[in-house]
Parts: sequence; C-alpha cells; structure tokens
Amino acid sequence: MIHAVDGVSFEIRDGETLGLVGETGCGKSVTARSFIRLVPTPPGVYAGGQVLFWSSDARREGRGPIDLLTIPKDEMLDIRGDRIAMIFQDPGKALNPALSIRNQIAEVFYQHRSEEILHSLGPWAPRLIRRAARQESSGFERFLLTLPPFRSRAEKLREKVDQLVGHALSEVQIANPRKIMESYPHELSGGMKQRVLIAQALACNPDLLIADEPTTALDVTIQARILELIAELQERLETSVLYISHDLSLVKEICDRVAVMYAGRIVETGTTDEVFSNPKHPYTRGLMAAVPSAAHRRGELASIVGNVPELLDPEPSCRFNTRCPYAVEICRTVDPRTIPVGESQSVACFAYESDDTDVVLPRLEAWVS
Amino acid sequence: MGVVTSLRAANKEREPLTAARSVISLRGVEKYFPVKEGTLQRVVGHVRAVDGVSFDVRPGETVGLVGESGCGKTTLGRCISGLTQVTGGRIYFRLSDADAARLDVIEAIAASERTRDQVRELKRIEENHRIDQLEGKAWKTYRRNCQVVFQDSFSSLNPRQLVKDIVGRPLRVWNEASGEELTERVVSLLESVGLRRQHMYRYPHQFSGGQRQRVSIARALALDPEFIVLDEPTSALDVSVQAQILNLLYDLQRERGLTYLFISHDLGVVRLMSDRIAVMYLGKVAEQGTATELFEDPRHPYTEALLAANPDIKAKESGMKGLHGHVPDPASPPEGCRFHTRCPVVTPVCGWEVDDAVAWLQDHEALAEGLAAVERRTNFDATLVFHTEEAAASAVEAFHKGDVPPVMRSALEEMSTDGRKVSIKFSPVPPVELEDIGGGRLTACILHTSRGLRI
Repeated sequence: MIHAVDGVSFEIRDGETLGLVGETGCGKSVTARSFIRLVPTPPGVYAGGQVLFWSSDARREGRGPIDLLTIPKDEMLDIRGDRIAMIFQDPGKALNPALSIRNQIAEVFYQHRSEEILHSLGPWAPRLIRRAARQESSGFERFLLTLPPFRSRAEKLREKVDQLVGHALSEVQIANPRKIMESYPHELSGGMKQRVLIAQALACNPDLLIADEPTTALDVTIQARILELIAELQERLETSVLYISHDLSLVKEICDRVAVMYAGRIVETGTTDEVFSNPKHPYTRGLMAAVPSAAHRRGELASIVGNVPELLDPEPSCRFNTRCPYAVEICRTVDPRTIPVGESQSVACFAYESDDTDVVLPRLEAWVS
Repeated sequence: MGVVTSLRAANKEREPLTAARSVISLRGVEKYFPVKEGTLQRVVGHVRAVDGVSFDVRPGETVGLVGESGCGKTTLGRCISGLTQVTGGRIYFRLSDADAARLDVIEAIAASERTRDQVRELKRIEENHRIDQLEGKAWKTYRRNCQVVFQDSFSSLNPRQLVKDIVGRPLRVWNEASGEELTERVVSLLESVGLRRQHMYRYPHQFSGGQRQRVSIARALALDPEFIVLDEPTSALDVSVQAQILNLLYDLQRERGLTYLFISHDLGVVRLMSDRIAVMYLGKVAEQGTATELFEDPRHPYTEALLAANPDIKAKESGMKGLHGHVPDPASPPEGCRFHTRCPVVTPVCGWEVDDAVAWLQDHEALAEGLAAVERRTNFDATLVFHTEEAAASAVEAFHKGDVPPVMRSALEEMSTDGRKVSIKFSPVPPVELEDIGGGRLTACILHTSRGLRI
C-alpha cells in the first residue's frame, strides 16, 4: 500500500491563500483531490482522518462544519463545483474538446443553480422545463422542447443561462464573451483556456478554491496576469484559496501562509514571511537554496542529494532522513511530531525538540543557508 | 581518465580551443512551416517560426536562448543541430574569423558581380562549413560534434532499450568500441554523469526524471562532442533535481571544454547558466547581450516585461507584472516591431497596423457584430466594411472617443467614412532590425537604437 498522504493536518482560514509546496510525488495533488473526494476508490482508500468544511451557508444558518470524507455521495456532488471548486494544472486537458465554451460553463449553472434560474423565469415552470434546467432531458424531451408550446420557454431558459455564462466570462476579463462562448477549446490560447477554467470554477462563488498548479503550463507574462486575476477575484468574492505549486518563488509572491509537504507529510507550516525569512526544516532550506537566483555562482547551486523515497508501507521515521545531511539515529526510527517554533510557524523535525531527553538529536547549527 | 584521452585522440579533427573561430554562426536563419487548408491541402500561408536570426556561438561559452512558448527557440535549436532544414539563411559550423570576414565581403557583392576567385572562395567556405552543404567527412565531423539533450527525457529515450544500448549506441554507430570496451566506455560515461554501473541494465522507465535526464546527457557526451544544444533540459524537473543537473552540466562543461546553447523559458536558470543571452520574440531576436548586462540593464521592453513577470525568491518587495494586449498570429506577424501589440512603452511609430484596429473592434461585442469584412490593401491600409451605416458610424465614433489606446489613435493617419465603408490608414513603418548599440549589445527596440534617436 502506498501512503501517498500520511497524517496531514492544516487549516485554511476564511479568505486566506494557503500555499502547499513540495516536489513532484510528495502528495500535494492527492491531498487537494481528497478534499472533494476526487481520488478514485478503489484503488485508493481513505484510511483515516477528517476533512472538515465549514461553508458560509452552514455558518449563516448556525450549523457546524461537516466531514467531507463521510457525507453521502449526492451531498458531495452538491458541494463540488458549488462550494468548493478546483482549477486544474493543464487547461488543455481539463476542458472537454467536444463542447463549446458556452456549454462547458453552462453545465455548472445547470448543476448548481437550476432552481434560481427557474425562479427568475417565472413562478411556475412545467416539468419538462424543470428537467431541462437540470440537464435531465431525454432525447425525446429535447425534441418536445423544440415544439411551439415549450419552445419559447426553452429559449428563455437558454438566454438566461447564456447571460450567466457571459457574466462569468466577463468576470475573468475576457473581452467580448459572446465570441468566446461560441468557440471550442482548441481555438483558444493557453492563457485564455485557463481564464475559462477560472470562470467555470468561480461561477458559483465558492467558499474554497483549490488551484492545482494553475499556471505551470503558462508563460511568465501570462502567469502574472492569471495570478493578478485570481487575487483580484479572491478579494472581491472573499474566497479562500488553496494554492498548490512546486514553484517556491511564486508561492512567496501570492500566499498568506505556506505548508511545505514532503513524502506525504507536512514538514513545515507558517506565514509566508516566517517560512521564507527563517525556514526551519532542512528540506525547506534545501528547496529554497536550490532556486537559481542572481546571487548564485555557476555550478554552485545547492541541491538536495537523492530522490523522494518510495512510500510503500513506510516504517516510522522522518521521511526526509535519506536526504537530510543532519540525520541521526532517531530520525530513522521515530516519527517526528510537529513542534511550534514561532508565532504561527511549526516544524516536524527532531532538531527543534527540547534537549532534556536521552537520545541524540540532530544539530542544524552547522547549516550554511 | 584513460578513456577520456583516448576519446580525444579519436576525435583528431579537434583544434585547440584558442583558435579564433566560432562553433556555430547563424546568418539570417529562417524556418517557415506551411499552413495548409482545404481538401487539397493548399498552402495558404507560412508560420514564421524563426525569421531572420543571426548570432555566433564561440568555443567554450554558453549562449542562452530565452523566450515564451511559440517564439521559435526550440525550432532554432533543431535547425542548428541539423534536425530540420532551414527555409532560408545559413548556419556555419566552425567558421574561422578570417573566413567569416571574407564571407561578409563576398556576400556584400551581388552574385553576378563576383570575381571567379571570390566565387571559388565562397564555394570552399560553404562546402567546409555551411551545415546544409557539408558532405562526407565534414558532415560526419559536424554530426558527432553537435549533440542535443531534449526537454522530455521520456520521449527522447527508447523505452525498449537498456541504458547500455541507449548510451552505447553512438559509439557502436561510429565503430568506436564494441564488446568489453563498449561496456567500459558506457560505465565511464554513466559515472561522469553521476550514475553507476548497476544502472546500465535498466530501462528508461525505471529511472526518475532527473536520472533519465542524466542518461540523455551521457548519450550526448558519448562521442565527446564540442557543442551541445540543451533544449529546456530541466523544465520537467523539480528545483532540487534541477540544481543537481545544472551543476552537473557546468562541471562537464569545465572538464571537457564544451560549448552550450542553452534553451529555456526560465529566466533564473538562463541567467545562471549563460555567458551571453539572446531573447527571442515571435521568431526574431529582440535583444542580445551578456547575461549580467541583460538582466541588470535591459534595453528592450520585452526583456523588461519578462523580468517583471518573473517571480523572484530573493526579491524584497513583491509584485509581478503581466503583459496586456494581443499576441499576434505568427502566420502574419506585425510588419513593424513585433512586440508593439503588448508593449507597455509603445510609441505611434512602432508599427500600428490594420490588424490592431480589427483586434480592438473584435474585443467589443457591439462593434464586432457590425463588422462584415476587411478589405486589406497593405498591412497599414484597409477598408472595413460594416453591415449597416449605423454600425460604421458607431465604430468611427468609438475610434475617436472610445477607449482606443491613445497611442493607436495618434498612429491612425487617415480615417474616412463612405456609407458602410470605413477606410483606415496607418503610416507604414519599415521592419525593426536588430541593431548594435555599443558594448556588444544588440536590441531591436527603436527607443534604444539610432532610429529612435531621430524621432
């Protein structure tokens, strides 16, 4: 059994951006996908833990948070795309190539806003239209909708949805949304496709937006614009964002707090300022030193030796011990616990344990950052 | 070391590195891809992936090639390594400075007015150095001395071959080694890139991304080449592994006196690895200079924009700035400055043209619907035909009063309405060429070149 995510705990507060950083294969995406149960089971197993989600609706109505891992499937369907939305890494793959942009975004509204749409069309709607607004029409019903008694209503419904789609597209600063609505994904550039995905994700004004490396496939100049856009929308809509990235410099720019992940575990968390100005965990320090900058001399880039370990039934140990230059005996045999080291910073490393034990603890003083 | 010396001996043609020559010289290199349409696949235009690029790569140095995706940097790398034929221009291999000077003199003379000696001289240089005219031994020397490391190590290594076969293949093809000797050479190559003997009998899929890239590098080194094209060698890797590979590449360069062309979109990586950098935009070089100068004192707005958009982990204050505006269609790039559509410091004489006006119209729903056709006379002069007279009138009004970029409005020379037709005319500008601005720096921005000083 591969322990892709192993005892991860963190919280995302209202309206904040939490950055989840780590190398490929450290479990960032699996963590995020677990939020909305997108990990296929089987083969995956949610072996334990809770994902507590306190939506704005629940808070308004005085209900407590719910555990997303245990709620029934249809409740999960209501939350996905509505209260929690996700932007995927590769906009080319995340959009359906056979659907026009209009139909892709309209799907979100049909799924989550059908009641409101029907309500805005009038006090009463025939069953046929209700089913159409939920995208449940059969082929025969779709034929009926083209006939006179229903046609005008079906057209009104379509117009209303088009209006919502147009609004969603103009929110993400797409000029001339009507033209874009008619096009198919292959006709759009990478940056434009990512905008469409963001429009889709933010269509229902979610409480939490999961952005899984949303700009990795884009050029820097486009990336900067997409990030500006996400930040601006987040401020206006008061959405919390979980921003997953392997790019430390990017996370530094846009996140309020950072969680550094390694081999299925969180090794360090804290506010962006704390973590970047004073990284504690050897892994965090190693990652930061490996980013090329003007200060580096050629050939003297600090690198972390070795590779991410395989997570096949791991023994209790610090997962970083195979690559850590300061590892001692205890690192190989005991799971480290999370120790608070600053105002809001905490780290899972034995070097920050207090000295009043008999075991030899690793010493980090010699580390040259 | 014994192996390395024997390799050097095998590669006899090699001259001392101090010889005054370039490894690769580009002279106006062009590579066009046809755009085909219809049932008969008629060619309707060309995508100008590389459109007139010239620079030299000197022995022992690393030249960085940086730009956004689609700017033609990979295509240029493929042209240089002989993987694809150029459409126009010339690429020379190991051209001595004396020959280069002679070549410049001869090329300046029209073909019909060259003396017989000059023609003979030109023929000699081209047969010995121009890569698309090399034959026999010269061609072989070029091939073995110019290797490539590709971006995606998964698709560039044959999944059905063992690492021993992959790395040993060039040696076998060149009859350099066989049997026991081949195995030993492969081992020493693997060791030089940080892998070990036991990795020899594994398949590519059994390695991590970083290790696969090491195998790619070992293969490129097998024939002890002089020049390696590194096409985004680390863009698929994590930072910690990227650091390992970059250090390895630098160590190898020092040990073996390699010359690199380093292609990347990552500014931090290019800055670290390169001595000189060429910034490409839409098939042309926008700016060229040494790494430090280019980063500390950029002389082209595109370079500035790239730097501003690049997140920096060491920067004190935050803030990334993106670029607004349309990316032009590479099949019909702007005639003037190619960057003017997105340039933050654009002037009216940067080459505004009909396409810009049409793109602006299409961004406005109401105006775009009224537009029926564009009758183009030149890139700077066209008639816009609208469906109705009202649509034409409202478009004209929008041009005068609406949110048209003020620079575009002042670039608009003439605008006249005739019923449903609106003629627009911009002042034509000549193409912007790369110009030397002293100190070995070249830029294609009129704000920094002599043409800009005249306005």
